[in-house]
Amino acid sequence: MRLFTGKLATSVAALMIGAMPLHAADLMIGIKSEPSSLDPQFHVLATNMQVAFTMFEPLVMMDAFASPQPALAESWENVSPTEWVFNLRKDVTFSDGSPFTAEDVLFSFDRVAKVPNSPSAYTLFTRQIESVEAIDDHTVKMTTFQPYPLLAADITSVVIMSHLAAAGDAPEGKTTTELNRGEGLIGTGPFKFVSWQKGADFVVERNPNYWGDAPEWDKVTMRPMTNAAARAAALLSGDIAVMEDPPTANLSDFENNPDLTIAKAPAGRVVYIALDQQDRESPGISGTDTNPLMDARVREALFISIDRHGIVDRVMGGLAEPAGDLVPAHFLGSSPDHATAPTVDVERAKALLAEAGYPGGFSIVLGSPNGRYVNDVRIAQTIASMWSRIGVTTEVEASAPPVFFQNRDEMKYSAYLGAWGNGSGENLTTLNALVNTYDREQGKGTANGGRYSNPEVDALLAEAASTMDDAARGAILSKADAVVLDDFGIIPVHYEVPVWALRNGLTMEGRADQYTLPQYIVSAE
Amino acid sequence: MSIASPQAPVVAVETPFQRLRSQFLENRLATFGLILLALIIVPSVLAPWVAPQNPFDIGKLDIFESQLPPGSVSESLGITYWLGTDGQGRDVLSAILYGMRTSLVVAFVSVTGALLIGATVGLTAAYFGGKVDALLMRIVDLQLSFPAILLALIMLSVLGQGIDKVIIALIAVQWAYFARTARGTALVERNREYVQAARCLALSPLRIIFRHMLPNCMPPLIVIATIDLAHAIAAEATLSYLGIGVPVTQPSLGMLIANGFEFMLSGQYWISFCPGIALALIIVAINLVGDHLRDILNPRSAQ
Repeated sequence: MRLFTGKLATSVAALMIGAMPLHAADLMIGIKSEPSSLDPQFHVLATNMQVAFTMFEPLVMMDAFASPQPALAESWENVSPTEWVFNLRKDVTFSDGSPFTAEDVLFSFDRVAKVPNSPSAYTLFTRQIESVEAIDDHTVKMTTFQPYPLLAADITSVVIMSHLAAAGDAPEGKTTTELNRGEGLIGTGPFKFVSWQKGADFVVERNPNYWGDAPEWDKVTMRPMTNAAARAAALLSGDIAVMEDPPTANLSDFENNPDLTIAKAPAGRVVYIALDQQDRESPGISGTDTNPLMDARVREALFISIDRHGIVDRVMGGLAEPAGDLVPAHFLGSSPDHATAPTVDVERAKALLAEAGYPGGFSIVLGSPNGRYVNDVRIAQTIASMWSRIGVTTEVEASAPPVFFQNRDEMKYSAYLGAWGNGSGENLTTLNALVNTYDREQGKGTANGGRYSNPEVDALLAEAASTMDDAARGAILSKADAVVLDDFGIIPVHYEVPVWALRNGLTMEGRADQYTLPQYIVSAE
Repeated sequence: MSIASPQAPVVAVETPFQRLRSQFLENRLATFGLILLALIIVPSVLAPWVAPQNPFDIGKLDIFESQLPPGSVSESLGITYWLGTDGQGRDVLSAILYGMRTSLVVAFVSVTGALLIGATVGLTAAYFGGKVDALLMRIVDLQLSFPAILLALIMLSVLGQGIDKVIIALIAVQWAYFARTARGTALVERNREYVQAARCLALSPLRIIFRHMLPNCMPPLIVIATIDLAHAIAAEATLSYLGIGVPVTQPSLGMLIANGFEFMLSGQYWISFCPGIALALIIVAINLVGDHLRDILNPRSAQ
């Protein structure tokens, strides 16, 4: 039977492939989740960043291995520990033909803090900057409040918008709504905006004024296809040429398929469970009047009841690494004590629950996006099953990603499945976003939906943030990381290994930050 | 002394139900459908006692026993997975039995609800006529002009997830069919002598509609209800397949099919295939029974 279905699938696939010629200069990409906005300064979200990077560029751009490289700034230097001077490229024009100058840099950095209602604000990347000044048309000086080693890495996420095109009546110039309509979307990137409809295709075409190497594609379409199997079918039939996150169940077949190639990137993104740690009646918890997650023993029970190897093997198809830490061990500031994932211990978990006063357990709702992360709902269901085994009856509430993020921001979940990509190569950004005490004005704890708060961690992170020496900073970060993990403030599950599947004849450099950028996809000669 | 009462000669008088039964059993295909239906419904109703595993008890699922092919033997539970296991380690056979329960409950409750609402609206429209009739029937027309699945999708995205919400959405998309049929039949009944007689007795409209007209309008409604059961099961499966019906931890047939879809291309066909076959069988069985019922109850198509 198995042989039969295998043959059938292959012959069907072969028939479909033969019939589909591919237009040489158009590229169709099946993305797993659509951007929540085209405003490149609205929502720190990988899907938003990757569409922004087709049209816009930052001063400093991360390469595929998360190392900062010159982009709109051809060079930069620290003239003092708090002062950075960026020399801008002089040969750059925006896609509408207007020249790129220091004024655009000033406008873009000024705009970040003015964008209202951001669910996860870009101030995360600019809060260390005290001032941005233009020395001349092509030189910009940034001053930080204190010595801040990560500035170059941080500003890789702040893209430069045209101060002319993005000007408007609102304090932030063109509003998020206007940008979503395509008004003022003028950048210096390799592509320029053509059209976007929420829920449908995002289309860009080659920017004729691009200063760098012209991209290979005349037109690029990014089509949101949330169902992984539907994306896989579309790739096999040739409707799309590139797909994000091929289903883990299909990967071995894809690797053996002569019409497809696979691209991988280094692991970086951690999938975690955030736990509501506010002293309140938690919305998704029943069977108890107080919030049991305030008790570290309960959190530890939930932590050690997860069989991470089981999830990696059976749900992720081996395309992940079990995580005991928030960043992989080779990152600066990871905790050596947590480098290996903890082994599952159901008996101890039950004992901890009893010790904490919940011998009969309690009920909890685990929130999960449906289609945002690789196998997200299946991971959530598996964790629900593992928690139920120790007496914590878990129900999974899976929602479409925009609904999920809205619920998360309104703190409607007692526990939720999240993921955090780290493109900086060190733990500071992850810890700042996930476990620093939430403070929107300061841009701290911006993705800390469980509202974990520990003054010791906050102090260590503040200290690390102003330590210029890498080794010293790494040591402080390790310490902060270990405090959070020993406190079971957040539950790391695994690190995703990013994967793409492409039609044969295309190659792609898989980026550690998981962005699918059309300029990185080229025809193999 | 006893008064000898005249003994009535014993004549085998068929009750309407007996007649229906003998007519029904004449058709082999319909009988087959009925047996098939029983074979599906009985184990589903008895699922908690006959299913090898409770697939809704997620604490019992073992991720290491996921995606096993049909016939595998469970190491931890000691049972045989006759139809294999799905991506979460659920026994597919048990999941089908439990999923079928959900599907059947949703279908029966929603069709009954739609029948009650639709019959009331249709009979009221027919009995009163005039403006009431025009108003109610325009509402029905409006309702019928929307594609059913689209309307259900919109309602579910407003109401949220849950079996009760699916039932409400399905009632909303189905009642209009019953209303239209009920009105058509009742328009004929309204002018019959027994209704006129009831009116002359100054019985209340409520009584005339429900005690006198309704029983005589039932046969076509029963036929529609039977066919509509199949529609409701298919609609629920569609909604769950689209991921907006029942909760993920309590899959119905549609969600089981959707869950298995991602394993299809890698040859693990049974996860989608088996629930799909079950869904097809139950719909075919109901349609066979429904079609033949229509033939019997429709005087014009009687042989």
